[in-house]
Amino acid sequence: MTTPPAVATVATVPNAAPSDHRGSPIPTGAMITTRFMELRKRRGLMIALIVVNIGLPTVFLVIRLLAHAIAPKSYGPAGGYDIFTNLVAGVMYVFGFIVAATLGCAAGSVDLTEGMFRHLVVTGRSRLALYLARIPAGLAIVVPLVAIGFTIVCTVCVTAAPAKLNFDGVNVPAGLSRAGLANWAEGHPDEVICNFDTRLGPSTPNASEINSVFNNVRCGNGVQFGPPPVSGGAKPTEAEIRAVAAQIARMDYADYASQFLSPSDSLMIYSGLWIELEAVIGFTVGLGLASLMGQRTVPVVLLIVLELILTPILSTNVIPHVINLQRGVVGLAMAHLEPGGLPLAFGGNSRGGISQLVPESTAVAACVIAAWLVGWTVLGAWRMMTRDA
Amino acid sequence: MRTATLPDTFDHQTESRWAVETHRLTKRFGENVAVNNVELLVPRGCAFGYLGPNGAGKTTLIRVLLGLTHADAGTMSLLGYPVPRHRDVALARVGAIVDEPRFHSHLTGRQNLQILAAAREPESRDRIGPSLERVGLAGRADDKVSKYSMGMRQRLGVAACLIGDPQLLILDEPMNGLDPAGMADMREMIVSLVAEGRTVVLYSHLLDEVERTCDAVAIVDRGKVVRQGPISELLAGASLALQIECSEPDRAQSLIDAVRFAAHIEVGSLGLGISLPAGTPRDVVAEINRVLVEGGISVYRLQEIQASLESWFLQVTSRLGAAE
Repeated sequence: MTTPPAVATVATVPNAAPSDHRGSPIPTGAMITTRFMELRKRRGLMIALIVVNIGLPTVFLVIRLLAHAIAPKSYGPAGGYDIFTNLVAGVMYVFGFIVAATLGCAAGSVDLTEGMFRHLVVTGRSRLALYLARIPAGLAIVVPLVAIGFTIVCTVCVTAAPAKLNFDGVNVPAGLSRAGLANWAEGHPDEVICNFDTRLGPSTPNASEINSVFNNVRCGNGVQFGPPPVSGGAKPTEAEIRAVAAQIARMDYADYASQFLSPSDSLMIYSGLWIELEAVIGFTVGLGLASLMGQRTVPVVLLIVLELILTPILSTNVIPHVINLQRGVVGLAMAHLEPGGLPLAFGGNSRGGISQLVPESTAVAACVIAAWLVGWTVLGAWRMMTRDA
Repeated sequence: MRTATLPDTFDHQTESRWAVETHRLTKRFGENVAVNNVELLVPRGCAFGYLGPNGAGKTTLIRVLLGLTHADAGTMSLLGYPVPRHRDVALARVGAIVDEPRFHSHLTGRQNLQILAAAREPESRDRIGPSLERVGLAGRADDKVSKYSMGMRQRLGVAACLIGDPQLLILDEPMNGLDPAGMADMREMIVSLVAEGRTVVLYSHLLDEVERTCDAVAIVDRGKVVRQGPISELLAGASLALQIECSEPDRAQSLIDAVRFAAHIEVGSLGLGISLPAGTPRDVVAEINRVLVEGGISVYRLQEIQASLESWFLQVTSRLGAAE
């Protein structure tokens, strides 16, 4: 027989309802702060984040700085436009995503795997709030780290930029106007005529004079003017040669103007926002996926495979029946939002090249990115709210 | 804010005399019914033991009560608040250890409590120090949990419960990993918590500890609560056990069997162990002695064995096992 026991004593502890918003889905500042602390104290993870986001570009730039300081003729300047674009598009973008995803996977799974999830649920706090607290806490780590690494890259690339620009193999002063470049060309006709890219067409003014100069100027070890004329024509005068050099310079000015000693402010700002967005995506997707799967290792591996293998393949190879699926790949969407001055990370166009990316409008790319951010957050939160603790 | 939307009548519910109340609570895992129509009433302000063999569904019931998993059927309330409807309000005044207490091992004990306090009301942060002091961890609070022994983790688990200033504590095997001194401290603390008006529900295999600590118990077997009530009342209903040292134990057994007094007789090297049905008049003990003496058996000692919670527990569970 089962009989209910009698009341032993009268409770003396006040039975007040909690004064906090325990059931609210909005995390408190304290929840975010302590979650930040929990992630920040993961020494191995933090070292990996710092090494990849800050250490790799810093070490690369320091080596280049030292090499240039020791042997400037053998090693070019540490900074400059090209170094910037390659570091941002080739290193910080890809590795930023991976380390952010790793942190997201840790944030999404460690409570569960380390047994704290149960303690947290028993507090009565909304599970959604517990999940959402991880997002600002994790981003408070990822975003500054990416920003620090990026700032170092920008600083070195601007301050240690080359003094002269290498254009068609010729060292040319940077930042010249069209007239300035023409004036400089008149002073260096040999280098211009022998090295600058010259495309002559029927509509090119003075085409015959230019051809005449070309035919009567010999380039080689030490540019020589004058004899021997190829076709026995009249030897061009020095004034004619200088005029032709100036004309070639004016014709090539558009190409010259697209070359930079150092990245522009707008390029740096846009690139910084772009790699920050990539890191935010990496963290958010990692958080959602790890929360969904309840573990860390497999989601990390999946996201590395996505970033390093699947995205390059799906971004540059049009597969007829799944092209819309390809357009849903977040890496492709990010590639379409890439700043114009950078070489595309997944095999698209570099300057002047032809894009090989699967076509996608900017609006669609923005929608895809938003869908990934929202979708994975919803999935992760849903799993956290329904999971047995 | 949910608390603001509670109906006026809700305050009356919080005056419920039961700290835990379940009706026909059921939880299934496929074919297996882990919690089977459980009717449980835990009075406020007492230490309550929840006992059962391994696999009886004890921990599953805690998990259902605390919202760690969902019930398939039935109703339940904690401190008068129906859950899961008012789970956040109810759990605000509940502290619990479920299974082995585990924490972030790369953080210190204090930092782990800070994480948990952040999920509770702001005042709970001020209780971290006193809670650590109370469980005897103040001196090691700033050591990493990875350096803690099992017993220290248990203490930290209790401290995690205390930072919420709970009216109801649910402790799952809190004595695990504790040395004898630690067990005594834990027992003392449970008693003091109850003295403060809190309710402590203790899940334990250590029946001796439960008997010494708790006022009332429930026994669960195969997902069902089979007995519950104050320990003194339950033991009063236990069978009467006699230990008899005598000559010729086998013949003595035959003599007693012939008069059909005993529920169960075991012959041992020293004599007989006799189990009499609950409520057997004490005159029967004298009658057994008379039968043996008149039968020519020398009775050296006849002792009534005080029923313990352990023996009663074994009786209840073995009887159930035999019935199947």
